[in-house]
Amino acid sequence: MGTTTTPLEHDPALAPAAPLLEMSGISKRYLGVQALDRASLRVNRGEIHALLGGNGAGKSTLLNVLSGTVKPDEGTIELDGEPVSVEHPREAHRLGIVTIHQELSTLPDLTVLENILLGNESALGARGGVLVNRRQVAARVAPLAAEFGITRAELWRPVAEFGALKKRAIEIVKALAAGPKILILDEPTSGLEEHEKTLLFDHMRGLQHRGVALIWVTHHLDELFGLADVATVMRDGRTMATVRVESVSQRELVSHMFGGEAAELLAAPAAHRRSGDDGRQAGPRLRVTNVSRPGVLRDVSFDLYPGEVLGIAGLAGAGRTELVRVLMGLDKASSGHIAIDGKVRKLNHPRKAYRAGLAMVPEDRKQMAVLTDFSVAETISISRLRAVCVAGLLSGRRERTMARSFVQQLGIKTPSSREKVRNLSGGNQQKAIIARCLNTKPSILIFDEPTQGIDVHAKAEVHRLVRELVDGGTSVILIASEFSELISLSDRVIILNRGSLVGEVDDIGRRVTEDGIEAVKDRIIDRASRASK
Amino acid sequence: MSTAGARLSRVLGIEGLPIVTALVAVSAYFALTVPAFVDGEAMRYYLNEEVPVFIITAGMALVIIAGGIDLSVGAVLGLSAGTSLLASMHGADTVVAVLVGVGTGAAFGLLNGLVIVKLKLNDFIVTLGTLNVAAGLLVVLTDHVQITGTQDAGYLAIANTSVLTVTSALLVAGIIVAGLQFVLVKSAFGRMVRAVGGGTAPALVAGIDAGRVKVWAYVISGTLAGVGGVLLASRLNSVQPGMAGGYELSAIAAAVLGGVSLAGGRGAIWQAAAGCLLLATLKQGFRLMGVDPLVFSIIIGVCILVGVIVDRSVFRLAVSLGSSARSQAALPPVQEGRIS
Repeated sequence: MGTTTTPLEHDPALAPAAPLLEMSGISKRYLGVQALDRASLRVNRGEIHALLGGNGAGKSTLLNVLSGTVKPDEGTIELDGEPVSVEHPREAHRLGIVTIHQELSTLPDLTVLENILLGNESALGARGGVLVNRRQVAARVAPLAAEFGITRAELWRPVAEFGALKKRAIEIVKALAAGPKILILDEPTSGLEEHEKTLLFDHMRGLQHRGVALIWVTHHLDELFGLADVATVMRDGRTMATVRVESVSQRELVSHMFGGEAAELLAAPAAHRRSGDDGRQAGPRLRVTNVSRPGVLRDVSFDLYPGEVLGIAGLAGAGRTELVRVLMGLDKASSGHIAIDGKVRKLNHPRKAYRAGLAMVPEDRKQMAVLTDFSVAETISISRLRAVCVAGLLSGRRERTMARSFVQQLGIKTPSSREKVRNLSGGNQQKAIIARCLNTKPSILIFDEPTQGIDVHAKAEVHRLVRELVDGGTSVILIASEFSELISLSDRVIILNRGSLVGEVDDIGRRVTEDGIEAVKDRIIDRASRASK
Repeated sequence: MSTAGARLSRVLGIEGLPIVTALVAVSAYFALTVPAFVDGEAMRYYLNEEVPVFIITAGMALVIIAGGIDLSVGAVLGLSAGTSLLASMHGADTVVAVLVGVGTGAAFGLLNGLVIVKLKLNDFIVTLGTLNVAAGLLVVLTDHVQITGTQDAGYLAIANTSVLTVTSALLVAGIIVAGLQFVLVKSAFGRMVRAVGGGTAPALVAGIDAGRVKVWAYVISGTLAGVGGVLLASRLNSVQPGMAGGYELSAIAAAVLGGVSLAGGRGAIWQAAAGCLLLATLKQGFRLMGVDPLVFSIIIGVCILVGVIVDRSVFRLAVSLGSSARSQAALPPVQEGRIS
């Protein structure tokens, strides 16, 4: 605990000029690779400060230095003009630096109050005896909780009962209960629906008014405008620029993040749209008829044509993921049938779905897609091992050759095809999973939230890939919570609401050019969120 | 980017390096301090004694890599020895007696696999149940007493024939370890075993029939216990209740010492076998040094703990050196894969 022992002096002359936080010359080298190269970050009181950068730019490392989980090789941190050393997360907490992580970290079986209390015992005056007077603590927490829409009664309910937004709110209250000066928000909008995001942004403004400085890590540049005051952009471990958000364009930010060339790529207009009719004469590739699954899906019917992107819109709990899980044979339908190329197929196991020409890039890469301990090559080949067998035995050489061609084709950034997938960045992991699907040569490829947690650059590449696939005749089913992403990629959108199909918007390309993207978006959101038919 | 760190990471990342190093070091120590240790006859004897554990360790490693655990193998091995020897004693042909033993093991493996997969029950509990069933059946079969004395010379020759200075039993064990290692690394089935052990959900999403893979892993484990039982019965020409009890724990310890992750998805058969060899060597070394058997079970217990701790530390170090360059989420359980 070699930190400042002298009490903070209040020098009135210094206070307004000095920022709340000044990190400068921070370097961190991990055997051979410079994760941080004299990075700096300067944050003022009551400021919403966006921290931007591609995967691997050094944002996390810098914030880990700030929160005491990574020890820098060089550099200084000043808080309120006083040099501090943050050797341990506890130290950061004591200094008022609190992090809210991307993954929800509340404990589901504990009550809201218990979650808020956890780690905040002394701040909430709950320490002292073995027994904690919950009622007293509840009374102390209640006003703060109410500000974030948590009622007094809800404090006593287990967290498992609440949705993603409320969990986020609980984490914010928990963070605030510690009395932070600096709150680090890592991708706070992940897992939230559009309208919930708006509420979260309101919460963030509320925090700002309390004088808390927010450091906000996000991949969604469009969220910044109108909310963030300042943005610091990192690239290759260096701080590239610190700009006032009101005075820059999204495009300028992107070029800071990836260099000029990438900005061009991202700014490229949405690819041409096909008329949408050319695939139809042949009849549907996939016909889903009256598929039901108790509690999640009710009588869902739709067709999917060759060479089209069919978007599935809906709010959380509408049954989108449940529907594609049934198609993939991961869950059983209680009634209805699925026909592929006119033939009814019994898809009661994923193996059969793959054999029938389906493949899926699942939601939740970490839990559902990445096989621990598998290399890039092994990840890509696993769904079609026959292709890398010679005389019935796996051929490492053939496997790596095949993998290398995908690595090249999809631009997967990896030291070699033998590298473990878990060591790649999120975007590259996702590309490896996509490669695995492509390797099975699917006629129907399902993407469930394909761009979750990957940076704008990787996102643009995934989008390009979807278009290329469709141009090649593959049919794509796309689930995306972000409506603008769904609309810009889909030819046609079907809308689910509480397990039922409540509408279809076809010929999206024409509608967008005629009515504008916002009109189409409103139309879909309206159907998806209507309480009942 | 061939820095010292990267190179060190590559060396530390070599599969099985810790267990081989430990094995060489321990053997060298005993060879230098206990002259009797290098005696060929003694060595052959103690290795021969370990054959059943060797064989079930191979099966155990496969099941653990597939994400399960098979506690029944010791008892099943004992039961298979019993059924096989009894068949032989009642005049069954050598081949028939062998098939009875191996078949007993295979049947238990199939039972384990089907119950675990079809009824979605916990591996640990199911195999704990079949452990007791098999042990109980052996008591019934032997009627509480030692059974002994087959007249079939062919049956007795199975384990006791000398082939190129080693016994046939040891040879069989070696072939099984090598064969299963080959299956794990070079066959599609082996690849799928690793995938399923890494996580049933992602394996299913990738289109693997995770249930079938797991059933097969248990069938193989059970079958190998059957083979081990036949070799044991053939070597001793006697079977008694409670025989081979606790072998499953030695097999688990050996597998873990050899770097097989109890979480599934990581490890190798030959490394588990090397772990088994290490335990056998320690046992033999201490025996020759005249250490009280009760004391050396403590020493071996401590060796297992130390071994596992060292192995995990080396693994983590290798992983962190290898990947911290790209992400600081180095240790597997901590926020893996979150990169700025």
